[in-house]
Amino acid sequence: MRRPPARPPAEALHRDPGLQPERTVMSWDRTLLALFVAAVMFLRWYATVGLAALAPAGLCGLAAMAIHLTQRRRYGLQSLGVARERVEADVFSVLWMMVLVVALAVLGALAIWVI
Amino acid sequence: MATPERSEPPARGAVAQKILDGGREPDPRFTLANERTFLAWIRTSLALLAGGIAVEAFTGSVFDPLTRTVLGTVLLGLAALLALTAGFRWVRVERAMRHGRPLPLPLIVPVLATGGAVAAVVLLVFLLIRPA
Repeated sequence: MRRPPARPPAEALHRDPGLQPERTVMSWDRTLLALFVAAVMFLRWYATVGLAALAPAGLCGLAAMAIHLTQRRRYGLQSLGVARERVEADVFSVLWMMVLVVALAVLGALAIWVI
Repeated sequence: MATPERSEPPARGAVAQKILDGGREPDPRFTLANERTFLAWIRTSLALLAGGIAVEAFTGSVFDPLTRTVLGTVLLGLAALLALTAGFRWVRVERAMRHGRPLPLPLIVPVLATGGAVAAVVLLVFLLIRPA
């Protein structure tokens, strides 16, 4: 049996003993889980309000997927930033997250009052 | 994973630059800590949102429709308020760090504490006076 060619040892992307990039990426992961819980709550509501619950649930799912798909990139950027003592504040992610949660609350309130 | 090599300062869009309001780049650890704090608030907000929806979806046999509507709306309103405050606070903290100013106080904390207390009391009262 042939052994696979030896890979070069993995190189750490940063030397921060506080593991800031790891903690931040995991914080996004927890947020993803919270979105998942919210999506499940909306789905449970489907029997009562129908499509009005499906839309926000889908929105939660899309947002969770977006977070998941950008995690690797986020970790790379943050590790690089910590290594260089210069990290770009993620204005875009913060803003869309804020807008998303406000939109979810508004959709939920609409479903309560209109349907 | 290969790391892209860039030596120039991070390129930002016009909107991001306007929001960050100049100043010097802060310690990257502070920027990341600010992001995590924002996410912690957003999760609190999502918990209130899920709670508001849960009140509507699960408590049909406990509350009359009016109570459910009011309680659900209050929770959803708090969720929206919290998300907005978290976003604006993130911007204010980021700006304060970039200009070396003291960090702003979290004004949302007393609001949230009051909201939680009111919701708990409302819940208690309705559970006590509800016909057995």
